[in-house]
Amino acid sequence: MRLLKTLIPSDIAAGLALTGKYFGKVFLSANRKKVRAHLKHFTQEYPEIPVRLAPRYRGRLTLLKDEQGEIKCVCCLACEKICPTEVITIEKGKKEGRKMPFPVRYDFEMERCIFCEFCVESCGFDSIILNHQFELATYNREDFSLGMEGDGQNMFVPSPVGKYSVAED
Amino acid sequence: MFKNEEMEINLGPQHPSTHGVLRVKLRLDGETVVKCTPIIGYLHRGVEKICENKTFFQGQVWTDRMDYVAAISNNLGWAEGVEKLFGIEVPRRARYIRTMLTEMNRLASHLLWLATHALDIGAMTVFLYTFREREYLLDLFEAFCGARLTTTAFRIGGLREDLPPGFIKQAQAFQDIFLDCMEEYETLLSENRIWKKRTVGVAKINAEDCIALGITGPVLRAAGVPYDIRKAFPSAAYAEMDFEIPTRPEADTYARYLVRLAEMRQSHRIIQQCIDGLPEGPVMAKIPKILKSEVNEVYHSIEAPKGELGYYFVGEKGGTTPYRMHVRAPSFVNMQALSKMVEGRLLADVIAAIGTLDVVLGEIDR
Repeated sequence: MRLLKTLIPSDIAAGLALTGKYFGKVFLSANRKKVRAHLKHFTQEYPEIPVRLAPRYRGRLTLLKDEQGEIKCVCCLACEKICPTEVITIEKGKKEGRKMPFPVRYDFEMERCIFCEFCVESCGFDSIILNHQFELATYNREDFSLGMEGDGQNMFVPSPVGKYSVAED
Repeated sequence: MFKNEEMEINLGPQHPSTHGVLRVKLRLDGETVVKCTPIIGYLHRGVEKICENKTFFQGQVWTDRMDYVAAISNNLGWAEGVEKLFGIEVPRRARYIRTMLTEMNRLASHLLWLATHALDIGAMTVFLYTFREREYLLDLFEAFCGARLTTTAFRIGGLREDLPPGFIKQAQAFQDIFLDCMEEYETLLSENRIWKKRTVGVAKINAEDCIALGITGPVLRAAGVPYDIRKAFPSAAYAEMDFEIPTRPEADTYARYLVRLAEMRQSHRIIQQCIDGLPEGPVMAKIPKILKSEVNEVYHSIEAPKGELGYYFVGEKGGTTPYRMHVRAPSFVNMQALSKMVEGRLLADVIAAIGTLDVVLGEIDR
């Protein structure tokens, strides 16, 4: 019996049959879109086709403005305190015609950020979100220091490098 | 003409089959291992010391980065340890969701183990198939908490948010196909003669040695000891779940493979029970904004995919940070078995032994 098992490689044949089944599925369907490996597709043609991200995806920190174009942040410093890697620096200030404090500076050091979303969670005024950007690499270290001014590295607008990221909301 | 001389070689720290930055110093007599010394510390970041300077809320992000293939299990240990320190009761729905996600993470971790272990030994197809199913689970994690690996899934006192819409449907879709996928892996490996030649009788360690070295998890269960923290000290919703502890008496690499596969089936069962019996209600307990501890110490352990993962907290009076935090990392303790497993065996068995221990260097070095 054991000799027979050694002579007839049924174990190898079973494995080969399985891989052959998948090979046949791909080979017979010339159109790649038709290939369904009894699951959904997992490989994505990423740079050509933008990635589908979950609505809760944690990307780059962004400051929000309300309908009048006013910054929502009121400098309660909750995000600064909760941040595990201390990447947020806020400077309080006053602005005419506004009762609440106004952030004169809102600095965000992205190179140390770990995208944990604790800041968004702590914010009681919904004034910050993490957007859906994940292509955040740059050539210069200075580009990781985000502030309220400047056009490229601004806390309000998405980073210019995120060509393929999608913002679903 | 031939000199008989022992040779010393280094396996790693950049060797692809050491699963990270593990360096193993081997004394070889021909191809037989005479002495094996694992050298660790290449990924040391000082997590325990950092956590002493961070609040109980913040510290969780460092647990993600210890065992990075099973981050949710680490989150569970941290959250439950802190809850034990403060005596916080977690709502039932939150406990069910925690259990479900932790079991999904166990599946993801075991799938990655199976992929890399088979890849080390030389079976590449399994790697592609398991990563396909793991992708499904990582998509579920992304839907739940927004990240695939560094999840930071739980909060002290419950969960941050309830399950997203469509999560249960997606999880059920995974449940429906997963057992078929398990059969595929078994077709490829279980009876395969090459796989059996490389694993049966390799890297043996008996139950006495396991217990003496403090080894837990599938390595201990494959030596015939039915010890599982989920049954022995149930936390989360494990007390309400119906599952078995798979054991094998052989204590070799093949037995560990069978035990882990059986464990995956049990995890599948637990996830199904969580989906079916998911209770309604809140997901977050009422907790004060700033947690201030008393003079107190707790040790809380959970069954991580690798074994017993324990968190030890010491609180000081009025402290917002732990006075001392220590992690009992399963990979670190299980690593001790390596020399016992491979000494006197062939060099090729070292690769199988490292694979079967399922070590993650982020957790060993911390």
